[in-house]
Amino acid sequence: VIQRLARRLVWAVFVVWATVTLAFVVSHALPSDPARMVAGAQARPQDIARIRKELGLDQSLFVQYARFMDRLVHFGPSDTAVGKEHATCAQIVGPLHLDLGKSAQQRRPVVTILAERLPRTIVLALAAAFVQVLLGVGAGVLAASRKKTAVDHLAVGASLLGISAPTFIIGLFFQWLFAHRLGVLPLDGWGDTFSAHVASVILPALTLGVFGAAYYTRLVRDEMIGQLNQDYVRTARAKGLSRGKVVIRHALRNALMPIVTILGVDVGTLVGGAIVTESIFRWPGLGSLSVAAMLDRDGPVIMGCVIVTAVAVVVSTIAVDFAYAALDPRVRAER
Amino acid sequence: MRSIRASSSALRSIVRGVGLALALAIAGCSTEFPAPIPSAHPDSAEPRRGGILTSASFGEIRTLDPANIGDGIVVQILEAMFAGLVDYDLDGKIVPDLADHWTVSEDGRSIRFVLREGVRFHDGDEVTADDVKRSVERALHPSAPNPYSTYFASILGYAAFTEKKAEHLEGVSVEGRYVVTFTLDKPDAAFMPLLAMHPLRPVCKSGGTRYSDTWMPCGAGPFKLMPGGWDRGRQITVVRHEGYFRPGLPHLDAVRYLFHVNFTSQRFKFTSGQQDILRDFLAPDLLRIQADPRWTPFGRYDLDTQVAGLAMNTEMPPFDNVEFRRAVATALDREQLRLVRAGNLRPAFTPVPPQVEGYDPSLKGQHFDLAEALEHMKRAGYPYDPVTRTGGYPTPIPYLTYSQGLDEFMVQVTMQQLARIGIRLDVRIVNYAAFLALRGRRKQVAFGPQFWAQDYPEAGSFLEPLFHSRSINDEDSNNAAFYKNPRVDELIDRGRRELDLDRRKKIYGEAQEIICDEAPWAFTHYYRFYAQWQPYVHDYKPHPVWTTDPKRVWLDRVAGPVAARAVFSGDALAKLFGDRP
Repeated sequence: VIQRLARRLVWAVFVVWATVTLAFVVSHALPSDPARMVAGAQARPQDIARIRKELGLDQSLFVQYARFMDRLVHFGPSDTAVGKEHATCAQIVGPLHLDLGKSAQQRRPVVTILAERLPRTIVLALAAAFVQVLLGVGAGVLAASRKKTAVDHLAVGASLLGISAPTFIIGLFFQWLFAHRLGVLPLDGWGDTFSAHVASVILPALTLGVFGAAYYTRLVRDEMIGQLNQDYVRTARAKGLSRGKVVIRHALRNALMPIVTILGVDVGTLVGGAIVTESIFRWPGLGSLSVAAMLDRDGPVIMGCVIVTAVAVVVSTIAVDFAYAALDPRVRAER
Repeated sequence: MRSIRASSSALRSIVRGVGLALALAIAGCSTEFPAPIPSAHPDSAEPRRGGILTSASFGEIRTLDPANIGDGIVVQILEAMFAGLVDYDLDGKIVPDLADHWTVSEDGRSIRFVLREGVRFHDGDEVTADDVKRSVERALHPSAPNPYSTYFASILGYAAFTEKKAEHLEGVSVEGRYVVTFTLDKPDAAFMPLLAMHPLRPVCKSGGTRYSDTWMPCGAGPFKLMPGGWDRGRQITVVRHEGYFRPGLPHLDAVRYLFHVNFTSQRFKFTSGQQDILRDFLAPDLLRIQADPRWTPFGRYDLDTQVAGLAMNTEMPPFDNVEFRRAVATALDREQLRLVRAGNLRPAFTPVPPQVEGYDPSLKGQHFDLAEALEHMKRAGYPYDPVTRTGGYPTPIPYLTYSQGLDEFMVQVTMQQLARIGIRLDVRIVNYAAFLALRGRRKQVAFGPQFWAQDYPEAGSFLEPLFHSRSINDEDSNNAAFYKNPRVDELIDRGRRELDLDRRKKIYGEAQEIICDEAPWAFTHYYRFYAQWQPYVHDYKPHPVWTTDPKRVWLDRVAGPVAARAVFSGDALAKLFGDRP
């Protein structure tokens, strides 16, 4: 298992490196000027040139890349507060530093910005995944076990609606209904206290959840119908197990495999940022950060967001792999 | 049979559900605005102390350092936090602020300021002439990412200081605790207007002699930032500076700005009293609220401070032909174009917006005349017959614009208008950053939108960057038409040196006549914002330069927040969980 994990980690590092390099090249190839975006649309060429130099953008792409990679992971003093040189670093473990540089726009270390945003995004991602699974699997199981009844049709119909309606429609509708009309939940934002955070996460999580749940409903339903027709289900029923027990304990467990795959990828993507939902609900997460960074050509922040997203997807894929083993004895045996 | 019926009833319920949702959504978007929230004491004009004024924007700020300004939203917050030697009043006139008075030398080259005594920074220190000099040097030193640095190049010794050949700026001298003199290398009509802007405003001693990214902003303005007051990407709250030098001001306890609030959310927040001023409108909402007599007493246009038009690159064919440019400028029906966003646009015929100093209503300017435009096309060598639709310019002209901006909509009308004189456009849309980069590059973009907001409220702030040949550069050229006319250059330079207002207006007027005639731009519209406030907001007047100046605003709300309806809101849940908001 350890050897397998090590192999996966090496592969993961390569994937992240390749993504970052690609993103670096692409963001530099665009016909735009980060210094102009810092200085403003009306700044004079001389002022732009001074800012460009100050940001190190007057160097060649190769030099910039080499400098970025050189700083990215390096060894330094165990205390980043010492000296100016490591002011933009975050410590991974002990003297191992992660340095993503300084945002051109905000002029703060990218690691600080990410540290502010990432927890908020993870909260939303997990809450949304929870809603997705709860609604999706619940409706899917119900639909499959009541195949071709009103319940089934309603679940399938609702999921069609969920898939068809984009998040900005669902989000605006929820906002209008729950926050504006009924006034039971905050309209947007993040809140100042723990309880306000909880209240604030409900609507964005529901929005993402309802949209995502639609896929799960269909997937679980089809998967479950397949499973419920299997011999082992009939055997279990013949053994005298109750219908509910068979559905939940046996069929659902087998149907979970594809769900876990999708969920893993979903969580990874959600961490990368639910861009539309974050902007509707003014959720201060990675999605809104990366959009702003992209529009402003804020290179270091773009790189930071790319790295976080790449790592999130890679980690969740590895997690899915190991979840397979936990769920399915056959996969375990193969190893 | 059963299942069919079931499914059809399920389908019906879905259809009903969707219908209901859509109806609600449409109703939510199209109902008229609810009634304004009245003042608690409508008959009293006595300012009341206290309260938080909340406004919002869809954008964000990235810094609060006067030596590093780069976005339009931040100026109103800087205005609340930093006082300058001079400032703009509500009529756009320059008035004393930290300076008690000033005298200009006979040759116009030096200005001697005498400061008010006893003015306190947010940290309690007194503002002295040393602080003025230190703050100027801090903002103009090349270590500061100040995008406006070169605007102050007329200060004596600027070049030596910015090239690090001198430790101090020669042109700023301290002549006592409360006296500071600015010396310029030549008379500069733009200097006082520029000084009234934010970059050189005095900062606390904690700001040091050189710019630093980690400084906690601190000035001498009516409001101050407390630790934790700025939650990046979300909101900023500045609180009353108890030591502010104008007695009794400000009335408000605090001012709060929310960021990244989209237009629909702003509308919801505004109508429920969670936001007191609304400036970002969906186009139909703006027209609706302007037509609602309950709201009109509490709304007003800002001054127009932006001009927009179509820049024609005079170095690239076919726009190197002045007759061709005249044809375009004469073919645009600005009254029709304006309707793309009727609530905000006014037709433009000259480069200087009506309320900016140097606007001259007697100028002929550009105008719309289809027959004349066709005549110009003929003279340019591309006669067009509108009846048979033959002739005109043989190939579509590439037109570069940017996504998610107003021009994306306006260009559709522009295309139709230019088609009437035989000009076809090939519209290419890129993102804003790419648009800016390409537009300023030599011989890159033949045709496209261009817009300019005043840096300071004076004609020179428009004419010099847009039409002076000095503003031409191979990259990042602000003169996007790459327009060059020695006579115009000379007039602009003369205007900048002319300290007499009437003579200056005349000089700038002559320059504008030439520019309108030679048409490096076809001017299209001036953009102005509309501000709407709740009746309980008093003495709020849109500021001609800063948008909002909260110094004199006061609130008179019914006790208790109107918006406390949310049962599951933070407050209610806080009680449930037992933690304090």
